[in-house]
Amino acid sequence: MGISVKDLSFSYGTTMVLHNIELNAAEGKFTVLLGKNGSGKSTLLKLMAGLLPCKTGDINIMGKDIRHLSISERAKVIGYLPQFHTAAFPFTVEEVVLTGRASYVFAVPGKKDMDITNEAINKVGISHLRQRPYTELSGGERQLVMIARVLAQEPQVILLDEPLSHLDLSNQIRFLALIKELIMSGLTVVAVLHDPNIAFMYADDFMLIKDGTIRILSGDERPWDASILTDLYGVHLETMPFRERALVIPG
Amino acid sequence: MSIPNRTFFYIIPLPLIIMSLFIGPSDVITSQDILAWMQNKIIQAPSLNQDKLEMVEAIVFNVRLPRVILAFLIGSALTVSGNSFQALFRNPLVSPDILGLSAGAAFGAALALVFHILPLQLTAFVFGLLAVGLSYFLALTRKGVSTVSLILAGIIVSGIFTALLTVVQFLTDPFKLQTIVHWTMGNLHNASWSKVKSSVLPILLGIIWLFIIRWRMNVIALGDEETRAVGLNPEQEKIMILLPATLIASASVAVAGVIGMVGLAFPHMVRMMTGPDNRKTQPVSIAFGGSFLLLVDDFCRTITSFEIPIGIFTTLIGGPFFVYLLKKSRMVFRES
Repeated sequence: MGISVKDLSFSYGTTMVLHNIELNAAEGKFTVLLGKNGSGKSTLLKLMAGLLPCKTGDINIMGKDIRHLSISERAKVIGYLPQFHTAAFPFTVEEVVLTGRASYVFAVPGKKDMDITNEAINKVGISHLRQRPYTELSGGERQLVMIARVLAQEPQVILLDEPLSHLDLSNQIRFLALIKELIMSGLTVVAVLHDPNIAFMYADDFMLIKDGTIRILSGDERPWDASILTDLYGVHLETMPFRERALVIPG
Repeated sequence: MSIPNRTFFYIIPLPLIIMSLFIGPSDVITSQDILAWMQNKIIQAPSLNQDKLEMVEAIVFNVRLPRVILAFLIGSALTVSGNSFQALFRNPLVSPDILGLSAGAAFGAALALVFHILPLQLTAFVFGLLAVGLSYFLALTRKGVSTVSLILAGIIVSGIFTALLTVVQFLTDPFKLQTIVHWTMGNLHNASWSKVKSSVLPILLGIIWLFIIRWRMNVIALGDEETRAVGLNPEQEKIMILLPATLIASASVAVAGVIGMVGLAFPHMVRMMTGPDNRKTQPVSIAFGGSFLLLVDDFCRTITSFEIPIGIFTTLIGGPFFVYLLKKSRMVFRES
């Protein structure tokens, strides 16, 4: 189960962005996509979230072909956290998180939706922000609000596009602890991360993406090998062993 | 100043409507006469002579009551429409006037008034919709639609339809011309039961629909991708807002002309009281929008010896309000 992608290609107009992607993200694991800017990571994530149309290839989420799911069915399986977000109206944090319930609600959300919303807010640890206008929050706080919104959706799979980019160190650590907690409760998480060190410290599996293709590792290669990373990021990198994996430092 | 409780707005319409029936330029009938007439209507007590009764009935029932109902309906319609457009475009500075809808609907209605080929409400709606569509596509770039370009596009579209309206006026005979000119000023003084009848159904249907989907407008207001991610189709949802919001605004224009700035200023006043959650703004827009326009109309017909067209009154007040919002928004809302 989890997510399986087979022979997926994608282009924006005539520009090919992804070529024959094969990928498996195991159920109940934290999988990280690593690669340079513009390598196609975000596009791949959007395809898995169903926000871009999957034309060539197959994407299966929790055993279901993504093309056979309606938008609202998909939202109950997949939660997607977009990159940075702003709002035109000063909705309160609670009102923003509540919109995560959209696929369960016909006209107006009821008590159950409110309960789930509050639970999500508490879980992310932003209950002190509940009544604050979203527009007045810092980038990091907004990110936490949006992850609470994803949790209110009650998905089985969560896709995160650079979730740490606006968080300070303490919030990054809190956020990663939250992801661990979600994994423990059985969710599948796939994230695009900038920092390979954080990825190696927290994630279970790694997908390396270069120029729109998956870098397949042979038997004795590891994602944290200096040669692999130097090739992946196109700059000279060195590593030092750390907790069975490695730390990456500029060479 | 403390902000009145929401229930205040749900209670105020009825007494305000009844009070408005007592207001008017006629000094032939007194408040006592009106009370006696109401008594007669409700408990059938014969308290007035027949002539007086008929006169009161003619003034209160056939002149004032349709006007009061029309003022309330149009106030609600323009406020709900403005609020819905603001959520739809994620832009607190748009309204039926600014999007060119009012000018388009006015042109469509003038066509119907002059040529009598198509029904008034239909042409107003079609040209209203056409105008909003034009504004949107003129403003649309690959990066989306920015506040400023949408406002500029609206000005262009308004200009085009206002010019076309002038052409219609130019070609028409003097008698019809007078009707059109008075009507384009935004006027309630020739309200009648037939005007109420022609507009009540589209306005009520549109308002009810926009009331039902009020919470979904919160979802839409957060962005297209954010809407899709939580399981709603943004294009579909936007059409579901666009059509009824256009319907109720153009139905208002068709019967009362352009009552400018209501669709912009009233939703702002509502949000100042309730916050941006459309679960609250939509019902308060119905009650407050209707009540407040009715109150403004009561002023228009009593403040001077002649009647000020209500559209001129609202635009004179609303214009500076828009400038104020624009100045303020420059600090709060960033161009994207």
